[in-house]
Order: sequence, then C-alpha cells, then structure tokens
Amino acid sequence: MPGLAVGADEGGHSRAVRMALVAAVLVAVVLIWEGAKWLGGDPWRLHNTLFGIRIDYEHTPPFHWPIASDIALPHIWVILAAFVLPYQRFGDPAWLVLLEAALYTFREALVGFVLGALLGLGLGIVFVRSRLLERAFMPYVVASQAVPLITIAPIIVIFFGNAWTSVALISAYLTFFPVTVSALRGLRAADPRAFEYFRSTAASERQMLTKLRLPAAVPYLFVAFRISAAAAVVGAIIGELPNGLQQGVGGLILQSSQYYVTGPERLWATVIAAALLGLACVGAVALAERLLTRGRYRTVSA
Amino acid sequence: MNAVVELVGSSKTFGAGRAATVALQGIDLSIGVGEFVSLIGPSGCGKSTLLRLIGDLIPATSGEVRVNGKPAAQARRGREYGIVFQAPVLMDWRTVDRNVELPLEISGVPRAERRARAAAMLKLVELADFGGRYPWQLSGGMQQRVAIARALATDPALLLMDEPFGALDEMTRERLNLELMRIWRSTGTTVVFVTHSIPEAVFLSGRVVVMSARPGRVTRVVDIDLPQPRTAETRNQERYFELVTTVRAALRAGGADAAAAEAEGLGTEPADAERIVAEGLA
Repeated sequence: MPGLAVGADEGGHSRAVRMALVAAVLVAVVLIWEGAKWLGGDPWRLHNTLFGIRIDYEHTPPFHWPIASDIALPHIWVILAAFVLPYQRFGDPAWLVLLEAALYTFREALVGFVLGALLGLGLGIVFVRSRLLERAFMPYVVASQAVPLITIAPIIVIFFGNAWTSVALISAYLTFFPVTVSALRGLRAADPRAFEYFRSTAASERQMLTKLRLPAAVPYLFVAFRISAAAAVVGAIIGELPNGLQQGVGGLILQSSQYYVTGPERLWATVIAAALLGLACVGAVALAERLLTRGRYRTVSA
Repeated sequence: MNAVVELVGSSKTFGAGRAATVALQGIDLSIGVGEFVSLIGPSGCGKSTLLRLIGDLIPATSGEVRVNGKPAAQARRGREYGIVFQAPVLMDWRTVDRNVELPLEISGVPRAERRARAAAMLKLVELADFGGRYPWQLSGGMQQRVAIARALATDPALLLMDEPFGALDEMTRERLNLELMRIWRSTGTTVVFVTHSIPEAVFLSGRVVVMSARPGRVTRVVDIDLPQPRTAETRNQERYFELVTTVRAALRAGGADAAAAEAEGLGTEPADAERIVAEGLA
C-alpha cells in the first residue's frame, strides 16, 4: 500500500498494543534481573518503619553467583536511586550531570552525523555517476568499516589534535558507511520507465539527479539515517575515550568504570543515559522522516 | 514536407553476433500532421520498439528516423514530443499538478506560467479538482489521464502513446478512448498509438499499421474511413465491425506469413515490403 511513511508498522497493531509490548519486555528484563539476584545475589535486609508498621525483613539467597552480586548487578532500585543522588561527592544530582554530558555528546554526534551523512550521500552520488569510481573505491569504503573503530580513534586524535573535532570525525567515520550503501541503492531505485520518461524530456544529468534520483532515494536514505543516528552516538562516545574529554558521556563512562567498585550503579546509570541518548537521536530521525515523507512514499524494507 | 514522423528503412537489432535479435527490419512509415496512427501487432513484433525509435529512447541500428523533419535525436533534445507509457510513471512524491508541471520545470518555464499551464491541462483531462492530490490517491484511469496531461503540457507537435490503456479494465478503457478522441480533436496533436487491441485501434485511428513478428515489420496499413468525430455511436456502425474484421484478418495473414517464412527459412517477401512503402507514403 503506497503512501505510508517508511517503516510505519503495517502489522495491524495499534499504538497502544505496541507500547504495551515494549513495556512487557521491560518488565520481563526487570523480573529476570531481580530474579537472578533473589536466587544468587548478595543477602540483603529491609529494616525500616513504614506507616507506623515496623518492617524487619532479611533475605539470604540460596545460591551464590558472582554475576548476580551487588558489584556486578546492582539492584534496579539502587540504579534508579543513583540518578537522583550526586554523581560525585557533594556534586550535582546524577541526572543533571548525565543530561549535561548527554547534550555535550549529542552536539559532537550531531556534527559527526551531518558530516558523515553528507560524505555518504556525496560518495553515493559520485559512485552512481561513475561505475569506474565505484569499482575503484567501494572496496576501501567497505574495508574502512572492517577496521575496529577503537584502533582508528587514537590515530584520528593524533592527526587532528583538537579533541572536539576529532570526536566529531570519529562519529562521522561510523555514520557515512550506511548512508553510502543506502544512497547507492536508493539513487538507482527509481522505476526504469521513469528514467525513460526523463530521457524523453531531454532532462540534464543534474535534473535527473535532483528531480528523480534524489527524491526516489529519500526512503532509502532515511533507513540509513536511522542506523547512522545510533552509530553517530556510539562513535562520539568512543571518540571521547582516547581524547580524555571529561564533559561527555564517554568521559563519564571512563570515570565511573574507574570507580566502579565504590559505586557500580553509577556506571549502569551512565550506560542507561547513553542508550537513551541513542534512542532519542533515532527517534528524532524517525520523526523527521514522518514529517517529510508522510503520504508520499511507498514503504521500503530496510 | 509536412510529415511529422518519417521512417525510411529503419531497422533495430538488439545484441550482436549469434545472440543478435532483429526487432525491426526495413520499416518505412510516414505520418502526417494531425494524423492519429495506431501500431498493432502480436507481442514481439517490435511496435513498442518502433515507438522508442521515434522518441529516440533507443537508437536505430540503420535507416533514418525523422521527427518534424529533424533527426529523432535532435527532436528529442528539442522536446518536440510528449510520451505516455503503459504505466502512468508518475512521481510519487509530487502532487498531481506538480507532476504535470514536471516537463515544464525541466525545460525551464517560469513558475507562474507552469502553474497556469498545468491547471489548463488538468482541466483538459477533466481532473481540475485533483491537482493537490498525490498519485496514489487516484484510480489507475485517473493516473493515466494525469500522464496524458503531463505529456501534453509542453504543447508538443507529436504525442507518443505506448499501450496507455493496456492495464485498465474494458469499461475504463472505452471511456478513456472517447476522452482521448475529444482531447485529440481539441489539441490537433499528431498521435502515434501502440496497442494490441483491435477495436481500440479501429475506433481511434485514421490509419492502423499492422505489424508482424520475427523480424518485426509492417505487413499492412489499413485506412480507417469512419467519420469524425468518433463517438460512442461509432462503435455501433456496420463499417466499424467491417474494419475490425479487416484488421483482424490482416493480423492473421501477417502471422501466417511469418510462420510460413520461418518454416521455409525465408525472409519477408520483397513484393509485400514494396506495397507497404507505397501505402505508408501515400
């Protein structure tokens, strides 16, 4: 059925059902997590007065699994509490620190995403115009993604010095690949008869690109943008590590893992913040897609 | 010289060497200003290929193809014809009126003029109220009418139509045939119309060019002397049925010729080809 935004759910599930499914998975994860701790975690006790009733409860799990210990797997409520407690002694509450760090990393990722998307689209356009260049360069484009980012990142930092710039470039490095591949596919995706039509109107190469190839590629590009939005965040976080940038999520991950033993819940809270940042970026792309393509494009499978 | 389309000994061969297929061989055809000519024949007879030679969408292997007295390539670059395919081939991301504006945009017509022209064209195909819709919101027949409006937007001297109603149901097709006749009368455009429907070819055309396959060639040209304007009433006339029978017989004869030629390992009869030239240029 044409006219649906790309990726729109056609399975016939209503929005409410979809939300319920997502919530169900979350509940399942929490149950498994706490279930493991109940069976094999560290002993704990509840010792308090609630509404005038004295509660004195002690739980000793039957097994002892190192993976379920409080150091490896803090209680869910401890992690949630870590968002409200100060991140550093006498400092701001963690949620505020994490939010500021997320915004800092977001700016790096945004620049990286834009650079990567432009590079990917540019390469796609060049390769579509010239099979020769595609044949010559495509293996290197693929090879670039086979190299572990963690080894490339320090090299980029050494090359570009400026911490912020190199982080954006590392982010762009992860972003451009899916965009190149999708652009290449999308720019060739238009109906062959449409190309024949454009030939009949004596359209120039440039008109063929702007009025046929690019509009036809839009659904394909958005599939890539969604993948790249998450990749850009990952790239920015990894890029912060060899830079020693303290202000971003990557810096906080480094810091909280160094002090893991004194507060494992802080690393977990930081990881959750990073995931939420990635999710927000993908969501922003999906929203833009919906606004730009609603009612105009047929569905494209990723 | 007032032939809009002129083919002299035009041939088209796909591939080379052993794998070569002769799609069209020695086509001679001349179409005058304001004529409505149908190309009809079995599948594989090269009627769509012939249309593409005229439109310079594919180059001829040999022979000459002239449109408006110029080589076909030059006519295409001069945007001297409009084309309608079997599928509407509309741009999904453009509204109906922006689709009709597309060829004007490509030829650099200013916006205000484009708008006015698109509106007039949509009125011509009786879709004036649908300019703001997207193609997928329209039925197949309406989409094809948009394609016709788009083809006529540049006011071309020649309209090429490649089985434009082939994918539509019979009732829609008959209605669109009537509408096409009305449009043709009001624009005076020369039309080359590819079809595999005998009644459609007879109803619409001034001449029906009957083709046969392997190799694709013209076997006969039938003059359709039905009175103008063609209306729903035309389809009830005795003469209409006679002409349908004539074209059907011509198609069958062409098929028999081809089968016989194939069996004997012979090519086209030269006498036959000469007669076609004479008829085509008449």
